[in-house]
Amino acid sequence: MLAIIATNLTRSPARTIFTAGGIAVGVATIVALLSFTQGLRNTAAGLVHLGGSGLGVFQANVSDPTASILPEATVTKLAARPYVAQATPLLLIVEGVKSDPSAIVFGADPKGFFTKSLVLVAGSAPSTAQQILVGDHMAAELHLHPGGVLEVKGRPFPIAGIYHSGILYEDSGAVLGLAQAQQLTARVGEETDVVAQLAPGTRASTAGPQIEHDFPGTQVISDPQQALRAGANGTLISKAILVIVVIALIVGAISVANTMAMSIIERQGELALLSTVGWSPTRVSSLIFGEGVAVSTLGAAVGLLVGVIGAGLLVDALGASTYVSPAVTAWGLGRGLLVGVAIGVLGGIYPAWRVTHMTPLKALAGT
Amino acid sequence: MSEPAGAAVFVDRARKSFGRVSALREVSLKVDPSEAVAITGRSGSGKSTLLSLIGGLEQPDEGRVLIDGRAIWTEPRPARARREVVGFIFQRHLLLETLSAQSNVEVPLIGAGIHRRERRRRALALLEEVGLAERAEHLPAELSGGERQRVAVARALANEPRLLLADEPTGALDSSTSERVLDLLFGLRDRLGMTMLVVSYDHAVGARADRTVALIDGKLAASSETALPAS
Repeated sequence: MLAIIATNLTRSPARTIFTAGGIAVGVATIVALLSFTQGLRNTAAGLVHLGGSGLGVFQANVSDPTASILPEATVTKLAARPYVAQATPLLLIVEGVKSDPSAIVFGADPKGFFTKSLVLVAGSAPSTAQQILVGDHMAAELHLHPGGVLEVKGRPFPIAGIYHSGILYEDSGAVLGLAQAQQLTARVGEETDVVAQLAPGTRASTAGPQIEHDFPGTQVISDPQQALRAGANGTLISKAILVIVVIALIVGAISVANTMAMSIIERQGELALLSTVGWSPTRVSSLIFGEGVAVSTLGAAVGLLVGVIGAGLLVDALGASTYVSPAVTAWGLGRGLLVGVAIGVLGGIYPAWRVTHMTPLKALAGT
Repeated sequence: MSEPAGAAVFVDRARKSFGRVSALREVSLKVDPSEAVAITGRSGSGKSTLLSLIGGLEQPDEGRVLIDGRAIWTEPRPARARREVVGFIFQRHLLLETLSAQSNVEVPLIGAGIHRRERRRRALALLEEVGLAERAEHLPAELSGGERQRVAVARALANEPRLLLADEPTGALDSSTSERVLDLLFGLRDRLGMTMLVVSYDHAVGARADRTVALIDGKLAASSETALPAS
């Protein structure tokens, strides 16, 4: 049976290649998108633990965590809670650096644990509020060095030093004094979020709900999954990917069903002959079904390969390579393969059913 | 008591229409086990339809068709019943073009769920039987018309049928090739003892058969109905 399936797939190589190619494109898209979201998730982990914090407190129901606005007083109230060891405010300036729009400039309290956690690798700590610190990743990208100048929101800031923190978001951005950042963005008295280190023995999973209860209108992000779900954009991405997966499944299944239906019309004499020589309807259906599954599995295998390569290209195309490294996981590949095989199974059902309703004599008369 | 090598065929007032066209009109025919019967008639007289009813490829609109007392079409699994009893040979060989001669002979055995090694052994033995053992690996396109028909004969014999139905098996062959194919068919019938019904215009078939029945406009000619089987 398997030999016959293989032979039948090679009898019309162009058709097999085009069908498998269509499925490969669908599976590749799914794998690339899943790798991209896994990369986003990994990156989101960095956003959660800015400055080595245990959790971040943001405004609830915002389109994106970076769009959050909290009153400056939040940090003082939060720091007073027994389950919090330290808290420091942050003001995030996005698209503030013209030469690297994806970089984030952090407005941070110079005395807070966020700024203190930065390890200087060149230059020195800012001696005036006008000076800025630049992450080593950004410095390498933009060829910046101490004594140079970085423009933020069109205003030049002398670079005091270059730091390394080990967190991609921070190392790809810059750190400015909080007051300076508030002035620059005309958001005096406001902050984007408050990052906190928890008291010894306190777990983020228990402190998070407590903070949300104590500070109505806030949301606590303590793990990457929460970070992805926190903003409407992250939710939108997840839903868009689900929609794309479903569309790929439907279009792929219709494509396979169409190809296999055409194939059985062309081969009805041959299929009738199989019935005539004693093949049961189930066995004839299995042949057609098997061909559908085989072609889609072939397409899925190619799609997995293309998807792994395509994930990197997708990140580059979206201009997100600074922050997102596509992460290909076994589960992501498995889901791609599952979708590919599901396409074959769904697409093979109708043609296989149709074969069981063919009358051998009529089909043979047509040969 | 062991099963006879040939199957008994009993057609009882069978009718079959396709739309408004009456292909068969109250045809009754009895064929004894191991008998070889030639079915003749003009084009459109219902010969192939009669063969299809006997082979269980179609159901009669009225009447009965019994093979060894069983109505194949109404069996719970007609394909299986057909496989166990009937072998078909067609005017056009209807070999699967992408498979070798040996694989073509194996096709009915796949349907029967025979293990691969046993399939190969039986297919090679049958190709040996029809004189094509050395052509086992050739594709149909690499065989002559007579060779293809001999492969089709081997395929029809794969499941050791007790009833062989041949629909104009020499219709697409030249006279000398036809002669060789008929030698093969009737030689096998003599040796294996299966019942054989052959639809043909060819007088040579009638001359070799135990008896000949003629169909005229979907009915058996009067002489055919009264004809007695030759011993």
